[in-house]
Amino acid sequence: MADTNTVRILDGNTFVVSEDTGDIEATPSEPTGLFSIDTRFLSRWVLTVNGERLNALSYDDLQYYEARFFLVPGMATHYVDAKLSIIRERAVGGSFRETLTILNHDEKAVDLEVRMAAASDFADLFQVKDEILNKKGELYSEAEADRLRLGYRRGNFRRETVITCSRPARYDREGFAFTLHLEPNEQWETAIDVQTFAVGPGGRDLRMGLRAHGTERLALQHDLEEWIAKAPKVNTEHEQLGSTYRRSLIDLAALRFSPLSLGGQTLPAAGLPWFMTMFGRDSILTCLQVLPFAPDMSKTTLRILAALQGTRFDDFRDEDPGRILHEMRYGETSAFEEQPHSPYYGSVDATPLFVVLLDEYEKWTGDIALVKELEHECRAALHWIDDYADLVGNGYIWYERRNTDTGLENQCWKDSWDSISYSDGTLPPFPRATCEVQGYAYDAKVRAARLAREFWDDPAYADQLEREAAALKERFNRDWWVPDGEFYALALDPNGRRCDVLSSNMGHLLWSGIVDDERAAKVAEHLVGPRLWSGWGVRTLAEGEVRYNPIGYHNGTIWPFDNSFVAWGLRRYGFAEEAATIASGILDAARYFDGRLPEAFGGYQRELTKFPVEYPTACSPQAWSTGTPLLLIRTMLGLEPHEGHLAVDPRLPVGMGRIEVLDIPGRWGRVDAFARGRLKLDDVAAG
Amino acid sequence: MVDATMRFFEDLDRRGFEPLLAKTAGTLRFDLHEGAHTTHWLLEIDRGKLQVRQEDREADTVVGTGPRLFDELVCGKENGIAALLRGDMTVAGDLRLVLQVERLFPGPPDSRGPHHAFRREGL
Repeated sequence: MADTNTVRILDGNTFVVSEDTGDIEATPSEPTGLFSIDTRFLSRWVLTVNGERLNALSYDDLQYYEARFFLVPGMATHYVDAKLSIIRERAVGGSFRETLTILNHDEKAVDLEVRMAAASDFADLFQVKDEILNKKGELYSEAEADRLRLGYRRGNFRRETVITCSRPARYDREGFAFTLHLEPNEQWETAIDVQTFAVGPGGRDLRMGLRAHGTERLALQHDLEEWIAKAPKVNTEHEQLGSTYRRSLIDLAALRFSPLSLGGQTLPAAGLPWFMTMFGRDSILTCLQVLPFAPDMSKTTLRILAALQGTRFDDFRDEDPGRILHEMRYGETSAFEEQPHSPYYGSVDATPLFVVLLDEYEKWTGDIALVKELEHECRAALHWIDDYADLVGNGYIWYERRNTDTGLENQCWKDSWDSISYSDGTLPPFPRATCEVQGYAYDAKVRAARLAREFWDDPAYADQLEREAAALKERFNRDWWVPDGEFYALALDPNGRRCDVLSSNMGHLLWSGIVDDERAAKVAEHLVGPRLWSGWGVRTLAEGEVRYNPIGYHNGTIWPFDNSFVAWGLRRYGFAEEAATIASGILDAARYFDGRLPEAFGGYQRELTKFPVEYPTACSPQAWSTGTPLLLIRTMLGLEPHEGHLAVDPRLPVGMGRIEVLDIPGRWGRVDAFARGRLKLDDVAAG
Repeated sequence: MVDATMRFFEDLDRRGFEPLLAKTAGTLRFDLHEGAHTTHWLLEIDRGKLQVRQEDREADTVVGTGPRLFDELVCGKENGIAALLRGDMTVAGDLRLVLQVERLFPGPPDSRGPHHAFRREGL
């Protein structure tokens, strides 16, 4: 969907995707529009002057929340004759506001009929994405003297778009118009305000009192400036790294999302445009990536996920007591239970990762109060791991959806239907267990043991968790190791048969610490070996596997976020050069995307394509791709909280030059880290 | 019919303390409208300590819905968050309180929970 000439601006989960003229003409194949709370509020927004469509001379997306379009009437060949300029400036921040300016450059006066066609189909985001459109409710359009009201009603479910202008306009059911007379060099301007409403029977909006900051442009600008000022400064001789860091920081600000129940605090949403909502897995992994730079996000993420932790068995939502949610949605299909996202719990990694994040967050910030506050939820999460998740009864986390209509088949991060296979390419039966999740469970137990001992005053529980972790590690290294290939299987089926394919998931095992020391070197060798390493990054699935496809969503593409955790894992086991190899491959790739790493790009050999090939339907910006450069910086600099201090142990590749990261926040106050590129990487990767 | 609602509130009152609400404080009033008649339930939460009254008093959060739907919510036949998104349940005031109390509602009566393969074989 990521058309190169679409322009996107956003604030929280309100966003606009339009053509480069600013027009919106949504079709199933061109999913443009104004969206908020998972609903499209404008599907048509087309400006004409004297009945003519306009052409774009240029556009600027000035900030993530504002854009400006310079337009002229007529076709491209007539630009030179243009006697009129039209400027559309727009911003989102709660509502959508567009300022329309028309300038007459002619020496004669002109009479103009300016019209904006406006309509909305109120499609649920899921309907836009899946191209199904059979609305069960009723659409309406009411032209009033001073406004146009577009609406959709299904029972008590009501969504409305209300359009008003700062100058008198003629409103009709399909838009609004102005009749102008402009003298030579005269200019005319109007501000158009488009407000979105989710109205209940009492007339109250669902989202009342939710704003993290003001909705005015200045408030947004101030908020962004404050966000950047609060983050550490990165100075570097490596030009791209500096701009990539800045891009990431701004995108991260853009992706902040304020869920209904958090009273205005924010956590990272997963990605624009389809995932501007809360995802357990994505939000947690992004928080882990950005902890050294923006620790506050972890606190709010942990709190909101704790507040919505599962409490009962609900087969439609795949909910269990103690389980951390997968995805929350606010649209029509959630409301009428045509989709299970109210919220949906079908992920098996968010729950152990919740515990991992809490411990990592405390190590950086020393926020003991939060560790105490979330003790009950941590224990419930650990209980879920041992009981409800162990479907086979052999001490692993398994998954098998109970919602067989709309639930997720694969409940790990590689969640497409064909991501888990045996080496002959066939798919295993359910329940399935994937390797990286067992690593997360191990890590969760080790970390929770520390929390129990140091903060929960429960040494017996700490001992128990440590015993369980040690037993899990031993069991895992016995059951999952593929002796022939000397790697860890991607998954197990319920009969204990291994999905013996070489995959990137092993890198997460290094990060979790579950890998036996004597096997780590072999794992590292595979990760930067010719089958997994493309020259840009580690492929999700190794070249040579039956299901390998360089543009297979989880079967061969390269995911920047995946690589950042692989690099962190390599560093943990002392493979600093291999980690630096990955860091520099991914950061090199970032250059081709102006510092904004996509969700995924092709697994083609670097020498073959010379540039990273973006995956066709990748989301961008996406939170965990945005967090990737930050985790790579942490990894290369070897930033680790250690006994209340920040340890710095840099291993930078030669080409990186000098890097300084100033004002890293944490329990130590703020400290600086410096590094110089000294590592020669030529011999490390076999790619 | 309204017995389930009555049982739900009586049970909360009898329980006295609810660990899931140990971090929560505030008052919620449930206004169950049926025609011209409204039944009020007032729930006071003081860091997990619960007290229920049938009173129409000012509260931090006021939830409005019909007695039939509320009955189904407390039986697990309907889901609170979906009802909220649908507009069948309205909230004035602090939404967080409702989301915390909603977690006390049971799951659907026909939900079986995880299918443990080893237990399934044993059947």
